[in-house]
Amino acid sequence: MLDTMFFYMFALLAVAGAILTITMRSAVHCAISLIASLAGVAGLYLLQKAEFLFAVQLVLYIGGIMVLFLFVIMLVNLDSAAKERQFHRRWAGGAVAAVLAGASALWLLSKGAPSFGSPVAQAAPSPDGNVEQLADLLFRQYLVPFELASLLLLVAIVGSVLMAKKRTS
Amino acid sequence: MPTSFIPTAADLLRLSPDIVLTAGGALMMVIEPLTGAARKARMAAIAVLLIAAAMALSVMAYSDPGTSFSGMLVVDGFSTFFRILVYGCGLLTVLMSVDYFKRERGSESGEYYALIVFSLVGQSLMASANELVLLFIGLEISSIAGYIMAGYLRDDKRNNESALKYFLLGSFATAFMLYGVAWIYGLTGSTNLDTVRRAILGGAMEQSGQMLMIATALMFVGFAFKISAAPFHVWAPDVYQGAPAPVAAFLSAGAKAAAFAMLVRVAASAFFPLSAKWEMLLWATALATMIVGNFAALRQSNIKRMLAYSSVAHAGYILVAVTAHSEVGIAAVMFYLASYVLMTIGVFAVVTLVASKGERFVEIDDFSGLVQRQPMLAIALTIFLFSLIGIPLTGGFFAKFYVFKAALDSNLTWLTILGLLNSAAAAFYYLRVLVVMYMKPAAEGAGPVDPAGIGIKAAIVASAVGTLYLGVYPSAVLDFAGKAAQLVK
Amino acid sequence: MGDNLLSLILCTPLIGVLVLLFIPGTMKNAIRWWANISAVAGFLVSLPLIMNFDKSLDGYQFVERINWIPALGVQYLIGVDGISVLMVMLTTFMGMLAIFSSWDSINDKVKEYYAMFLLQQVGMIGVFISLDFMLFYVFWELVLVPMYFIIGVWGGPRKLYAAIKFFLYTLAGGVLMLLGIITLYLQHIAQTGVATFEITQLMNTQMPMWMEQLVFWSFFLGFAIKVPMFPFHTWLPDAHTEAPTAGSVILAAVLLKMGTYGFIRFSLPLLPNASADRTIVNVLVVLSLIGIIYGALVSLMQQDWKKLVAYSSVSHLGFCTLGIFALNEQGIAGSVIQQINHGISTGMLFLIVGVIYERRHTREIKEYGGLAHVMPNYAVVFAFAMLSSAGLPLLNGFIGEFTILQAAFQANMAWGAFAVTGVIFGAAYLLWLYQRTMLGEVTNEKNKGLKDLNWKEWVVFVPLMAWAIAIGVYPKPYFDILEKPVAAIVERVNGPKAPVNAAVIELKKTEAR
Repeated sequence: MLDTMFFYMFALLAVAGAILTITMRSAVHCAISLIASLAGVAGLYLLQKAEFLFAVQLVLYIGGIMVLFLFVIMLVNLDSAAKERQFHRRWAGGAVAAVLAGASALWLLSKGAPSFGSPVAQAAPSPDGNVEQLADLLFRQYLVPFELASLLLLVAIVGSVLMAKKRTS
Repeated sequence: MPTSFIPTAADLLRLSPDIVLTAGGALMMVIEPLTGAARKARMAAIAVLLIAAAMALSVMAYSDPGTSFSGMLVVDGFSTFFRILVYGCGLLTVLMSVDYFKRERGSESGEYYALIVFSLVGQSLMASANELVLLFIGLEISSIAGYIMAGYLRDDKRNNESALKYFLLGSFATAFMLYGVAWIYGLTGSTNLDTVRRAILGGAMEQSGQMLMIATALMFVGFAFKISAAPFHVWAPDVYQGAPAPVAAFLSAGAKAAAFAMLVRVAASAFFPLSAKWEMLLWATALATMIVGNFAALRQSNIKRMLAYSSVAHAGYILVAVTAHSEVGIAAVMFYLASYVLMTIGVFAVVTLVASKGERFVEIDDFSGLVQRQPMLAIALTIFLFSLIGIPLTGGFFAKFYVFKAALDSNLTWLTILGLLNSAAAAFYYLRVLVVMYMKPAAEGAGPVDPAGIGIKAAIVASAVGTLYLGVYPSAVLDFAGKAAQLVK
Repeated sequence: MGDNLLSLILCTPLIGVLVLLFIPGTMKNAIRWWANISAVAGFLVSLPLIMNFDKSLDGYQFVERINWIPALGVQYLIGVDGISVLMVMLTTFMGMLAIFSSWDSINDKVKEYYAMFLLQQVGMIGVFISLDFMLFYVFWELVLVPMYFIIGVWGGPRKLYAAIKFFLYTLAGGVLMLLGIITLYLQHIAQTGVATFEITQLMNTQMPMWMEQLVFWSFFLGFAIKVPMFPFHTWLPDAHTEAPTAGSVILAAVLLKMGTYGFIRFSLPLLPNASADRTIVNVLVVLSLIGIIYGALVSLMQQDWKKLVAYSSVSHLGFCTLGIFALNEQGIAGSVIQQINHGISTGMLFLIVGVIYERRHTREIKEYGGLAHVMPNYAVVFAFAMLSSAGLPLLNGFIGEFTILQAAFQANMAWGAFAVTGVIFGAAYLLWLYQRTMLGEVTNEKNKGLKDLNWKEWVVFVPLMAWAIAIGVYPKPYFDILEKPVAAIVERVNGPKAPVNAAVIELKKTEAR
């Protein structure tokens, strides 16, 4: 019972935060709303007994990335952007699409709910503990994707440096 | 979990082309600042060596086929075929880029070649991954490198527009795909293609049919974007038109081939039990893609834009073979892509040369009188265009023949008829280029075509020879494709 | 040489092209010499073919077989029977004359022009000797390319339109034909497990009637567009009118015959049940009759000399298809002979237009009149060509038309009756054309000083006239050589019938009268 209550609380936080992120005018407000949304997701992780993910979410996303975001936003003065015309002028169409997508998702979930009860999908908490299990997966089974993810990041860094660096000529 | 922490020698050999390219690319990044501005072409030489090494290693790895890293990666005929294909595509792109950047002085840098190498790692993974997570990572590596390359000339507005559009729409599409992968994991408890297949055969279909269909539909959106199938093709013309010509070649040839490899592998392994249910959707997508591509191409006056729409149309023909969901169909996809890659790279290489500095001459009318200005170039372009039309003795003919044979084999009579009519209608816009090239005098302003460097010459000659080889003696590739297609299942 | 004679015939023009590529483009006369030498050599190497051909044998001769694409069962399989021998001879002969006739008229991009012409020869010979359906298709499509360039680069004022129309029409027909080929091929695999495009093997394929009809219509589209049959003929007047003279000659004399040849070689033997189906026969015959009469009537209306000849082709080819779908031996044999006749006489008519176009650069009929006074020799040659085309006895056109009409009457009185009106209209438009251009007084000042035929033009006309007379006077060898293959086709479609010699005997009687 308490679980369900917490679930809806965190879910509300996540969704409301997300909506505020795309509707707020000031970049700072957007970033703070995003933090709220991410915190909501972190809470959901905790409810799923994924303590490690919960910690990572807090430390990396909220503590690291988002704080960096805020720094950048406050360093470059974006006040002028707040006064400009916003992109969400077609909110009516967007709302209809969102409602439709939500409704179809709801319908599907109600139709297919039994399939989520399958034993594979709901692994029991391992005696080894969450972190060990994750490490085991990452460094044994998913070793290659894990290593290659670093290449993905490298490419992204190279790209952003290339895009941002001053032209010499 | 029996998997050992230390990979075996076989594991490493099967991954070795990717390892070499990753390490080599990183090394290129390290030595890039140490090379003088005048010597950036050396980076191209390194890239060529790396890609050649990767090709050799993938052939070696094929001598001992199998899965590696606990089923993460699979080396079979299919993946080897596509590895060689995307490497070859990368090689030709590097060769033609050297000339391009010599012309666009001051914008060359080693990162460009490193990005090609990294992108090849991604494409090679897309061809050989046996696991949805790895597949996704491969796709993202290839795509992100592609986004950056599309906007490589930062001072050029068209480049910026191209990169931004590609990035925004591409990220959106990959998000769809990732969402689909998450659903698949939720439904079957695995992201390994073989396990997913077993789960579907073992009752997941009965238990949660609709949800499975939605999951595959989400993934299909991602795939359709990457192969530029209608209605997810709208990015292609803008991106190809705006991007530097060699990059457009790379994106429309290599990236598309890898995306098809990924689509076919997933469709023929994990979701093969569902293929009958998907036939209608694929049927409609294939037809729409052919029609949209061909009829939009008819109205273009910019050759890069026309080629973009033509590449959409060609994706449609290949989808016809995918719709057939048979071994013959898979072999047809492989053969088609081999000849498609060659002719596309060839056409874009010629366009690169004719376009001149700053890509000033990219209207179809700028090709007028090319046969007088540059007879050899005109002949090469003629070969590629005839191959794109599908005239015999070029690779394009047997490719189309094989695709439509596969379709008829699977009783897709109407799709075949409509596809054949499409391919006849498509001849019109390719003929327009031939007409201005041979039958109209050179325009007043058209300057002499810049002398071609050795790199781009090699790229054009190699593509032309390859196109003719596939048209005159298709047996070798057909046989290999036929055998490799059986291994997918 | 005996074993690879057909390959030699096929390759001679190709070798010519390869050598041509190494001659510098500025040495125009050297190029012309070499191209003509290649074309004459092409004709000479084809002579042993007809001399050594044994007409008493069934089946194919000079067969060569090499596996080309084992995975698909495609072979390089070539060979000839009586029908294809005649077509090959027509190709090499007309090709030689057409190439010679362009000596003075082509001065721009000479090297490319001759290269295209010789390549065209390769493609057309290939079409007529292929015994593998895929190989046939490859040559069939390849022929498009040189003709497209010949019309588009060296053609008249509306050449771009004509070239593209020609290409798209025939390509569309070709791809639809491919559909039928693949269907037949897959059906053969399903029944026998053997992947092959060899036509003698594909003949053993059994298909349900609806499928056979489907395949028939798919072949029909490919062949009928090429012939061209009404209503697919609209590309022909444009292509003919805009093409350079030699291009028109080859187009009329050989290229169009690929379509009729296709009907005889593929549609009838591979799909005998569909070909004998009443509905299909009726549709094809009606289209042929419409083509005959419509082509003739439109010819009557033309103001443009070359367009008139072009539309007369539609009419004459209507006779050829009518003969084929009379489905008896006279009909098919007559059709093949009429194809050769049409090659000779329409080829001559196009050359005649070319001669005057060289001098005056206009094709408007009303620009001319009374040319017989200025150019007497020319008028004689034109009269000869006209009479040959109109089917005067003792000239070639008569033999073909007569045999076809006889076959048509034999099959159905009404068909014959309609076809006869075509002959009458044919005489009408040709005679009227002759009257308007050659007879009367010279009305146009510009026509006064025109030179008569020069020796180069004579060199082209004399062999054609000789051949026309030869066929007209002594057609027996042609009927003899066609007897076996035609009998085989008719037997496949209808079951056994009276031998083709019956027609010859009756013909002889007519001539004796």
